Amino acid sequence: MIRDSKFFIENPYGRWIRDNLFSSSSSAFLTFFAGFMVIYSYRGIVGFILNPERMWTSVTYNMKLYMILAYPDEAMIRVWLSVGLALILGGLSIGFYNSGKTISLGGIFQKLFTISAVIALLIALAPTNTNVIQNDGSIEVVEIIPQDVRMLILGPSLVLTLAFFFLRNIKIKNLFNTAKVNLTYFGLIIASLYFIKIPTISLDSSGERIIPDPFLPIASTTYIPWTILYIGMLLFFFIGSLLKNRDIKIMARLIPISWFLCPLFIFSWIFKKPLVELNTVFSADIPSILVFGIIGFLIIRFSDNQSIGVYRTPINIGFLVLSIVVFLLPLVFIFKATMVLLLLLLVVSPAIATTKEGKRQLFIVWVVSLFVLTFLIRGASSDTMLVTPTGSIFGGFSLTWLLAIFGTYASFPLGLALALGRTSTLPVIRIICTGIIEIVRSVPYITWLFFASVMLTVFLPAGVEFNLIIRVLILTAFFSGAYFAEYIRGGLQSIPKGQYEAANAIGMNPFQRIFLVIVPQALRTIIPTLVGSVITSFKDSSLVAIIGLFDILRIGTSVIPAQSQPVVFIGRNLEQLVFLSFFFWVFTFVFSRRSMKFEKRLGLGER
Amino acid sequence: MSIIKTVDVKKWFGDFQALKGISMEVAEGEVLVICGPSGSGKSTFIRCINRLEQHQEGEIVVDGIELTNDLKNIEAIRSEVGMVFQSFNLFPHLTVMQNITLAPIWVRKKSRSESEEKAMELLERVGIPEQAQKFPGQLSGGQQQRVAIARALAMEPKIMLFDEPTSALDPEMIKEVLDAMKELAESGMTMIVVTHEMGFAKEVADRVMLFDEGLMVEENTPNEFFDNPKNDRTKLFLSQIL
Ligand SMILES: Nc1ncnc2c1ncn2[C@@H]1O[C@H](COP(=O)(O)OP(=O)(O)OP(=O)(O)O)[C@@H](O)[C@H]1O
Ligand SMILES: [Mg+2]
Repeated sequence: MIRDSKFFIENPYGRWIRDNLFSSSSSAFLTFFAGFMVIYSYRGIVGFILNPERMWTSVTYNMKLYMILAYPDEAMIRVWLSVGLALILGGLSIGFYNSGKTISLGGIFQKLFTISAVIALLIALAPTNTNVIQNDGSIEVVEIIPQDVRMLILGPSLVLTLAFFFLRNIKIKNLFNTAKVNLTYFGLIIASLYFIKIPTISLDSSGERIIPDPFLPIASTTYIPWTILYIGMLLFFFIGSLLKNRDIKIMARLIPISWFLCPLFIFSWIFKKPLVELNTVFSADIPSILVFGIIGFLIIRFSDNQSIGVYRTPINIGFLVLSIVVFLLPLVFIFKATMVLLLLLLVVSPAIATTKEGKRQLFIVWVVSLFVLTFLIRGASSDTMLVTPTGSIFGGFSLTWLLAIFGTYASFPLGLALALGRTSTLPVIRIICTGIIEIVRSVPYITWLFFASVMLTVFLPAGVEFNLIIRVLILTAFFSGAYFAEYIRGGLQSIPKGQYEAANAIGMNPFQRIFLVIVPQALRTIIPTLVGSVITSFKDSSLVAIIGLFDILRIGTSVIPAQSQPVVFIGRNLEQLVFLSFFFWVFTFVFSRRSMKFEKRLGLGER
Repeated sequence: MSIIKTVDVKKWFGDFQALKGISMEVAEGEVLVICGPSGSGKSTFIRCINRLEQHQEGEIVVDGIELTNDLKNIEAIRSEVGMVFQSFNLFPHLTVMQNITLAPIWVRKKSRSESEEKAMELLERVGIPEQAQKFPGQLSGGQQQRVAIARALAMEPKIMLFDEPTSALDPEMIKEVLDAMKELAESGMTMIVVTHEMGFAKEVADRVMLFDEGLMVEENTPNEFFDNPKNDRTKLFLSQIL
């Protein structure tokens, strides 16, 4: 038998092949069958992509449209600022959380060997010809990869593969920091923007297309901003490492909070164009901060007062009613929003503000969050904003991103609240929460979208009108919130009774028991499900196209295939769909890989 | 002065009466061992003492506070009474150190550094200081149970309750847990221990009680209990178990 030959027993690769691919005759059959299917589809896809019929410039030329729709050119700096903010924060976090993991030179070459081997294999397998359907229905065979071109790429990649294969085993004791290696890879990608060139549509000064298309760098108009951002990221990486070495503890809290606030800041201040009048600041913001600052101080001051503690439930209910009333009154929006925050403070303060130290810290947190909230709302509710031809400043990927992020942001606390409410012992709360969850879940998302776009205006009191995007956001929050709630409830039920008893036995109050013991465990058990549902809501966000918003999918399927100015892209549907599937795949893939790492770090697999 | 006093405590689960009137007292610093056949109400009784179960009739006074439905009283008593469970019930998402410091920080409102110092002391006392940064899932059963003891002690309780602390353990781990409990008894802690470890009862207990069908059928010194029991039920129980 071949299987028992020396190669398959002594060589580790041989043994892997034998054990994993050909362990029995049926698995050998499956291996061959699956291999055939994979190669067949791969060749089909390559043939499709390289088909001369395809016009990929319709994708590359419209990249800006895809990302931000009709965002005005003179405000582009805002887009770059927002991307830059995220990259800088990314650099800072990588530097600060750098685990110090290292990789040897051999390890790097091992990876490079795998990559170049895969590339060589893919090129070797690529088809030479593909079929083109003519107008009269006949099929013509066209050559897409001439033999000399194939050799031109295959030769160097084979040489590299061989080189890396031998370099793998070099015994240099030098170790490289993984974070730095990854940043270097990212730098190489940025550098490739300069030297990899593709045919690009360009217009001359009179607006005529230059034919044939000149070869220009991939990101011919954006490689300079990318370079600047990359340098910024590197800079903040080193700042992060420095802060870590200095052992500055506060950063460990500041960085996650910054990540949380970053998108809010981007959407309320950078993406819009708020113009703030000092008048409104003095007549609304400063009084609101003062009033709520004082109320908050009083709540914190008296939260452990015995004689008031007796009336805690009536006070809480009173505040709830008060905040609903405030919400319906024609007051400045800042008052209404802060009222919700105040309600939260009322709930948490008895658990935290029990010592002088705790009170002081809670008061600081309270004042800071008042300022942050006011600042964000002032930006978001400003009348002045960017003017775009489509009326909305959000379109394309920025809209998809907005929906995905806020869908998650708002729905997560909402889902947690609904789940806890549904398991509550108070019948009223339980019935309300169960009702919300069941009603929201039993109607399809698309129906809710129509509800948001058409019906919601009918239900809202006269004079109250929200932007369509905001209506969709509120709705999405409820929709995914209801699903989250059910997942979280499942997680809560999986916590054994002993955990509650242990928490009780060490004297915790119900609030501490839920938020220190039960919820953290419940969330850990459902991380995979939660990630799945975040990915779903990311993809589902493209459904908003139905009610007239221009998300990335709508741009690809109806805007670009109808373009005739300045270049005719009419009917260019397939290219957009291939690009969009790849685009969505990259994001969801990266996201689920990240979450797998995250799960590992929490040790879910081990315990 | 008795630190725990119960008068005619009765408890029903639906129609089933699990406790049929238990009256007893425990003095400060005393070690009381409760034994008895399965289903006799031992767990139910000691869980009533820190109100993990509610009794319906009778009176329980712990450290001068009567157990009623008042939440403040319950939380006050629970921070005076430590409990160790048969199934450890450590918090799996926290490290050993965090398990121990959680209650001192959040319930007793102590500073983190002070709590961690205290936690290290306790871990040394139960003999596993080197495990502080591990997660419960990475420890053996005996080590986990000793962490559970340290976690209960971190609240500086006046009373410790043990509900069959060794019955979920492999034989070779039982001794390390019993040693920790023995050390605790010698330090003068008031303890109520539900256990089938008769060796421990003989050696450490000040008094031994036998429960049967929701009643306390015998209460005696360890020597008398084992050598010269008053009740026939006790003789039967001892003959089955020894
Ligand atoms: N939550 C409950 N609901 C209904 N019946 C219960 C409940 N808990 C205990 N019981 C019943 O009460 C009786 C006493 O139970 P308990 O757990 O106190 O016994 P035990 O003496 O600790 O026994 P073991 O040695 O097996 O732990 C048993 O018959 C049991 O079935
Ligand atoms: Mg029991």
